[in-house]
Amino acid sequence: MFSRNRTIIFLLLLGVLNAQSVFNAYGLGLSKSTHHTASAGAGSIGLVPTFHPGVSFDNPATWPGLQFTYVSGSYSNRNVEIGSQVSSNYGNGFDKIQFVIPIQNRFAIGLSLKPVNDHNAYFKTDSTRINFQDRDLIFNKEFRSGGGILAGSFGFAIPMNDRMGLGFSFDKLFGSTRNEESLILNSVHYRLFNIKTYSGSVFNINFAGNFYDAKNVIVTGYARVSMTREPVSGTQYQFDLFEDINDNYSFDTDDYPATIDVDTVKVSNIYAPSSFSFGMNTQFNNDLNVFGEFQLWTDQAINGKYNSIYKDQIGSKSHLGGGLVKFGKMGARPWPDRITMRFGIFKESYLLKNSGRKINEDGITVGFGYKFAATGSQLDIAYRTGTRFMTNDYKESIQEFTIGLSLGDIWFLRRRGKQ
Amino acid sequence: MNINILNTTLGVCLIGLLALSACEEAAIPVGVDNTPITLDTISFPVVKAIAYQSPPEMGKTEYLYFGKQDGFYFQYNLIKFDSTSVTANTPFSYFNDSLVVVDSLTLSLRFDKDSIASDAEFQLRYFPSGGDSVFNELESNYLNFNQSIASEIISTAQMEADSIDTNKTEVYLNFTLDSSIVNAFRDTSVLEYNRSFLVELANESSESFYFHSTDIQAGIKPELTVFYRNFLSDTVVFDTTSRSYLAVADISIITPPPISYEDSTTLSVSIAKGLKSIVFVDMGDWTLPSKSIVSSAQIVFNRVESDSITQFKVISHPMTSDGNYERFTSYTDDPYDEDLNYFTSTTLIDNMLKINHRKVATEIGHKNFTNLGFKLQSSFSNDPFATVKFYGINNIDSYPVMRVIYVLP
Repeated sequence: MFSRNRTIIFLLLLGVLNAQSVFNAYGLGLSKSTHHTASAGAGSIGLVPTFHPGVSFDNPATWPGLQFTYVSGSYSNRNVEIGSQVSSNYGNGFDKIQFVIPIQNRFAIGLSLKPVNDHNAYFKTDSTRINFQDRDLIFNKEFRSGGGILAGSFGFAIPMNDRMGLGFSFDKLFGSTRNEESLILNSVHYRLFNIKTYSGSVFNINFAGNFYDAKNVIVTGYARVSMTREPVSGTQYQFDLFEDINDNYSFDTDDYPATIDVDTVKVSNIYAPSSFSFGMNTQFNNDLNVFGEFQLWTDQAINGKYNSIYKDQIGSKSHLGGGLVKFGKMGARPWPDRITMRFGIFKESYLLKNSGRKINEDGITVGFGYKFAATGSQLDIAYRTGTRFMTNDYKESIQEFTIGLSLGDIWFLRRRGKQ
Repeated sequence: MNINILNTTLGVCLIGLLALSACEEAAIPVGVDNTPITLDTISFPVVKAIAYQSPPEMGKTEYLYFGKQDGFYFQYNLIKFDSTSVTANTPFSYFNDSLVVVDSLTLSLRFDKDSIASDAEFQLRYFPSGGDSVFNELESNYLNFNQSIASEIISTAQMEADSIDTNKTEVYLNFTLDSSIVNAFRDTSVLEYNRSFLVELANESSESFYFHSTDIQAGIKPELTVFYRNFLSDTVVFDTTSRSYLAVADISIITPPPISYEDSTTLSVSIAKGLKSIVFVDMGDWTLPSKSIVSSAQIVFNRVESDSITQFKVISHPMTSDGNYERFTSYTDDPYDEDLNYFTSTTLIDNMLKINHRKVATEIGHKNFTNLGFKLQSSFSNDPFATVKFYGINNIDSYPVMRVIYVLP
């Protein structure tokens, strides 16, 4: 079973490129709200249960509700269209890989790897023509950025009492980004590179509680507080501007000038995310769940000298969303009964630190999950469509298809001794 | 049943993923506002410019010239041969051996044409007392070379046709030399002995004759051939053979015609006339922003003549001393040294010359180099007798100017 799992997870990791967005060129780019496919299908930030009744893979406090140990992976493909642009941008990449072990329905531990932000951008300006003493100069600019910060996370869950539980997770943030700015003058490229590496850490406290449990309805509440333990710092390798005469994207002996300097700059406190989130879920006796979530996210970094393509950064974000989830039943004989159906709607609003401008994002999501095998394995599919726009500026139409596979197995099961 | 459904579902999803994984990364069009990396321009006036004359520097021309042409008088040519042979690297000291007997030497020059229209007699001298240096290919000229240090005439010759095959004939000037000449080369203890010859017309001629020089790209360089015998003993000849030595330096010593009014009042360049020009661009206290790249720093000149000229190149360097811009002056030595690190060679296109001095402009903009002006001269690849004139600063429409385009991070 796990041999096949490894193959599938490897395939899921093949692509690591997310579809670009102009907004990813602000600072470190847009932070990701959703990681697991089950959460994506409901447009959830991962607080409320979307994978299994009472369980969200993105909320460690709910992990004890899992009946099996899971290896899970989520992979997304995204299509972004800008305004009336005819062509679309496609990108893909993994959203999360995760390993969770529930212990005696009371505790759980888990490991995961997930992207924290999206820094992928590729955009260019229209050609500009200027007349310099009877000579036409035609130029345009191109900008690319890629890479980002990943979070390697360790989490565990402990019970508070028989109705409430806590989950703690520690995220080690690491990664690198690359920015390339170029000006193309009469077909000659002038390029400027910088490469940055990052390191920092965040810890999260998650809560899950059963507030009301009646015959026909169960009301549960969820919350998360994320705090920066160690603000992200890093090293910036800033290459001097050069004329890429042979247009091979890198500096070599054919280029001008003959030598360029690389400034190595230590940057500290450039990214310090913190957030508060809470959510409510109401489960009706027909297995239908109605949920709502709210999140306030801020970057409390104090170093404003972060060098990105656009000289501004995402300073804060708010998320408001809600939706419906109808869980499938594991082991149900008719296969349609094993299908989990999800629907969600959300609104996010980003605020830029320096200019105060807002980036608004709206989205509608639908998702399906299919339970198979005796150990609760599940295949999830999610589709999201929405728009992202800055007032009086760019508008992006987003479509995202996500697939996730969660394979369950039995760990820590007491085996019967040989007779 | 369940396994079948699972496998089918997995297969469909993976195929879908792989199909969608083909990324299309089209650039997103955005407005230019608030984007980094910018382009800027600035122009500087040429405030001082003048032509001047120095003795012609004919050492790098492709031909050796004899006779007269368009007012030029080609007095004589100096040729220096290599110290080792083309094959076997045989030095002249090899002939010191008593078992090696030199029979004769031949010095040959390849005529530029394949037929002899007008015959003339040439004569040859050498420099038995010349020490290790007779002439300098880059510096010798009609004012500083003393012809009297040459020997008496050691050989005379006339051009002769040599049939290469039934369809092709080449014309050579072959001087036969007495074997004693080689003694001057072999007996010296000076390794870099001159090995130089002077070739001239026996009589003044109103015609001109061109022979291939050592700098010709596709041709036959001057060659000195030594014919000798190798003896096994005092009486037994082991081998009869020859060694060829190619010219390593040569120069035509010419006297230029008088300078015309147009030559002296425009920014003119010519190799054979020794015409060069200097210009001073007023760049003031201009500072190039840090980390910027100069895309081009062109000094633009407009040619006076309107006729077309093919592949005319102008060499330019920044000067290392102040120029004298008061009046046209003829110097016995070029008074202006240039910084060879900032060499540029620019082809004249549509009668406009745009010399891109971006390297030195960058240094000037960063205050690492003092702007003392720029020097213009004709490239050695040009017809040495061509004179090209550019408008100076007094022309209302076509005055020279420097235009700098740079990119800022």
